[in-house]
Amino acid sequence: MAGEEMVRVAVDQELCIGAGVCELLEPEVFELDNDIVISSVTGDGLLPRARADVVVDRCPSRAIAIVEEEL
Amino acid sequence: MAPPSAAAVDTPNVTDPSLYLEGIPHDRFAQIRATPGLAWHPYEDGGFWAVTRHAEVRHVSRNPELFSSAIGHTNLWDLEADALEARRSLIDTDAPDHTRLRRLVAGAFTPKNIRRWEETVRAITGELLDEFVAQGGGDWVDMVAAPLPIQVILTMLGVPTDDADYLVELSNYLVEGTGDAQSIPPDAFGNTTELRLLPFNSPASHALFEYGEGMRQQRQNDLRDDLVSHLVQAESEDERMSRNEYRNMFHLLVFAGNETTRTAISHGGMALAAFPDEWGRVLADPGLIDSAAEEILRWATPVMHMRRTATTDTELAGTSISEGDKVVMWYASANRDEAVFEDPFRFDVSRANSDHFAFGGGGPHLCLGAFLARLEVTVLLEEMAKRSIRLEQTSEPVRARSNFVHGVLSVGMQPAGGTN
Ligand code: HEM
Ligand code: SF4
Repeated sequence: MAGEEMVRVAVDQELCIGAGVCELLEPEVFELDNDIVISSVTGDGLLPRARADVVVDRCPSRAIAIVEEEL
Repeated sequence: MAPPSAAAVDTPNVTDPSLYLEGIPHDRFAQIRATPGLAWHPYEDGGFWAVTRHAEVRHVSRNPELFSSAIGHTNLWDLEADALEARRSLIDTDAPDHTRLRRLVAGAFTPKNIRRWEETVRAITGELLDEFVAQGGGDWVDMVAAPLPIQVILTMLGVPTDDADYLVELSNYLVEGTGDAQSIPPDAFGNTTELRLLPFNSPASHALFEYGEGMRQQRQNDLRDDLVSHLVQAESEDERMSRNEYRNMFHLLVFAGNETTRTAISHGGMALAAFPDEWGRVLADPGLIDSAAEEILRWATPVMHMRRTATTDTELAGTSISEGDKVVMWYASANRDEAVFEDPFRFDVSRANSDHFAFGGGGPHLCLGAFLARLEVTVLLEEMAKRSIRLEQTSEPVRARSNFVHGVLSVGMQPAGGTN
């Protein structure tokens, strides 16, 4: 969207406990592997900053971080 | 152990289990919330820091490296080292053990995979409600609140639902074990283990362990597409969990999977009966069902606290905490924090703020079953709305004598203007 700041997110797979909150909130960006139950970013991992802030905050194990700002 | 400060003297007691026979002592929690800093609360073997405000519960929950789940115990009282080892479950671990164990079960409970149980939950719920209406009501706990979650978790585990009544009975004895009065003798269910080595110090835990062991042996030679088979496989083939971890995981899933959701549904029914106008709003606008379900969870707060232990000297709300101090997060209080929830003592089915701590304050121990419990409560409301069931309370609730589970043992309800 015009004027909306995009950021890139990443999952720390050591920290992820597979709660799936990320996939629920942003199914286009996060996907849980069904066998190992660890989340990873699909595609380019871009989200508007406000929505990225929400998933970062909601992930129970602080496994999601914003890795590149202001793209 | 921290030096009891001068302020400690005035901290109102919130741990006496008999207080809870009359409901959560909200006035006492309000007094503690309003006192700056953290309150030191005396307890049997010393005391604990009572964390009662939303912001600080959140901080403790989300900083597991400062506040451990593996030291001492996650209940108020400390366990001796051998008892803690014998009883240790997912809930009493820190990373990396926690991460390993949690991943063994996490897959079954992700929002995406939980959605696949919706039709099962709906069928069970519909049957229970139809029976409740056909009978003209009765004990809401017995007829709806208890059978719904136990049947669902047993189906997921692969345990025969014929055994639901027996497992609910065991679970009732476990709740007693969180209070100060057990009604069964130490050797009940053929138990010969020292009680201090059993979860909730209850002989019913022995029976639940035995039941889980029986399931393990059955599934070992007959793996199926169920949760017990999945655990058995992790235990026997891959050695990703020990035998002791298996039995404690089975125990935790059965207990946590039924007791808590049943408590939410018990209080939910009571709230819908006590505030018929609020339920009327939901009947008029089913779009309110999701927020009504969240409000029921906040209102019920089935698990009233969890405890952590400080791993280092730290500070919270301007109060110094010493390494080894017990820190108790009172969800029952945080969910009525007036700084976060507008008019917190009002039951409001359209409350916009759903940031309640019924499932804990976030952090890695966030309730594994949160999406399952939400599904159960939501489907219940949908099916009640579909049948236009309005509840009338016909008797006072009998509450559990526990400062840990906000349990309701029985409460009479009847449908007014039901299907007929
Ligand atoms: C309304 C219903 C429920 C409530 C209020 C509830 C509440 C809680 C709370 C407060 C915690 C501790 C969170 C923390 O320490 O941060 C917890 C943990 C847990 N709950 Fe639930 N729960 C509910 C339903 C369920 C269900 C249906 C299951 C199904 C299996 C379940 C399984 C668990 C497990 C396994 C844990 C331990 C998680 C861990 O330590 O990683 N709960 N729950
Ligand atoms: S929300 Fe966090 S812990 Fe849960 S699956 Fe996503 S990254 Fe993993």
